[in-house]
Amino acid sequence: MSQHTLHFESPSFTKRIKGMLGVDFYRLFHTPMFYIFLLISALISAMVLGMTGLPSPDGGESIPLYTNAWHIVAADTPLYVVRDIADYANMNMVFIFGGIMVSIFIGHDYKSGYVKQLFTTHAKKQDYMISKTLVGAFSMACMCITYLLGGIVAGLFTGLSFAVNIGSLVIAVLGKMVMSLGWASLYTFLNVIFRRYFGISIASSFFFGTGILIIGAAAIVGNSPVLNVFLYGASVSACLSSTPLTLLSCILCSVGWAIVYNLLGTRVLYKSDIY
Amino acid sequence: MNAIEIKGLTKHFGNKVALSGLNMTVPKGAIYGFVGENGSGKSTTEKIICGLLHPDGGEVRLLGRPYTDPEVRAKMGVLIESPGCFPGLSVWNNMKLQAANLGIENADEEIIRILKTVRMEGAASNKYKNCSLGMKQRVGIAMALLGRPSLLVLDEPINGLDADGMRIMREVLTELTAKEGVTVLLSSHLLGELEKIATHYGIVRGGRMIKEMTAEELDASCRTYVALKAREMAVAKAVLCRRYNRVEEDEAGFLRVYDSATPEAVASYLYENGIAVEELCKAKIGLEEFYTDLMKEGKER
Repeated sequence: MSQHTLHFESPSFTKRIKGMLGVDFYRLFHTPMFYIFLLISALISAMVLGMTGLPSPDGGESIPLYTNAWHIVAADTPLYVVRDIADYANMNMVFIFGGIMVSIFIGHDYKSGYVKQLFTTHAKKQDYMISKTLVGAFSMACMCITYLLGGIVAGLFTGLSFAVNIGSLVIAVLGKMVMSLGWASLYTFLNVIFRRYFGISIASSFFFGTGILIIGAAAIVGNSPVLNVFLYGASVSACLSSTPLTLLSCILCSVGWAIVYNLLGTRVLYKSDIY
Repeated sequence: MNAIEIKGLTKHFGNKVALSGLNMTVPKGAIYGFVGENGSGKSTTEKIICGLLHPDGGEVRLLGRPYTDPEVRAKMGVLIESPGCFPGLSVWNNMKLQAANLGIENADEEIIRILKTVRMEGAASNKYKNCSLGMKQRVGIAMALLGRPSLLVLDEPINGLDADGMRIMREVLTELTAKEGVTVLLSSHLLGELEKIATHYGIVRGGRMIKEMTAEELDASCRTYVALKAREMAVAKAVLCRRYNRVEEDEAGFLRVYDSATPEAVASYLYENGIAVEELCKAKIGLEEFYTDLMKEGKER
């Protein structure tokens, strides 16, 4: 019928991922949810640290939750078995908020029909996994920073000691920020699996983010760095006695998680109906 | 080369059979009206073409290549069910995001051109969530037109459009096929509207293609008849049935006389039998009736 000739073009990976990342970052910066989570991260660390100065309910002498302001960032040594809120409450909590944020972000892709618009074009499934992982990792890394800032401000008010090995502290913070990549890939994978069930997506992200798996496993088999790597992505290792080796293990673990979960997520998307 | 070639397409959702060996051929440059009842398999077929669903069996080729080929996908524009837009963003920003996904350079110029095409240039700054249903559909078409696609898949694009919106849509699609050689796969329940623009038709029932034809073939298959209103309809019908094999009363209260009847012959026959005719005209059944008849035949069988 028509005499118009067709010219096929093969869009390069760089062009595809650049476009998709541009869209996802634009959305991230234009959604109030991102800023709300940044604020929550700052407030949570400040509030938990603030609790340390509260008097005991019976009017007796208060027992501080922490002896050092930096404990809100990380424990002195890797803790697998959690005994109280002070053991639990550190920068790893960011990964819970991050999980919920990634769930909402990806859930919105499906709710708005954006994925439908996306996957009918040349977009590849692995591009989607990579883009969501990177945006999720960036948002969690930002949350780590606001969490740190909230902790510092609250620490100044509580008058707790700030004495720390600065190198280990930097490594601990960097280690947790690096682990954002691994966590984001896990959440992206979970949300791709449960993409049709928004509630389950959020619940699963919350479940994994709380670290309940490592806490439960450690209670059964005892402390083990192996558990940490497989269940909590080396995040627990990033503590106030961290060494450069700790950072290396965080990088390796994070990249390892990212590769594995991205491959799995891509496979799920290729093998199942999208919309 | 055909724009779409489907052979033996099958798809199940659990125990439910959505498509059972559907075949389809859409020539390049055609506006293909894809017609069928709800649940007949239209949307499933379209979603498979668009890469949103995986078929259980069969072959799908688009523009001469496998439907999964990313180069083919880059040549497609799609509107399935509703536009995939972010409600909180403006029409312009939604278009910009899709342009970024498609890797379009000079996106601003392209968006302005397309918004003009769908007569939406004045609504670019409106938030998508504040657009009327008709405007949203036009935004969906605009999104589908980004990247100058060679194949457009539009699922119920004229739903919710007012008369003017439908006219604009007709003009846009006709212009695209004529000037740019775009092929359009268009599903709709508004058969009267479809009939105004479609060059080819595919009628699907129970997950199978039951009829494919060109607009000319449809025209040839659509019988002419004489429609009339008489003072005594029951008597007129009885009299006409003596001479003509098929005489029916339609929903509007007219008697329809088929069998190549001419208005002159019918009028004079009724006059000879003493029946006064009030209204008389020659008419032709359209796609809607053709489709209804076809569906009835299938059910009766």
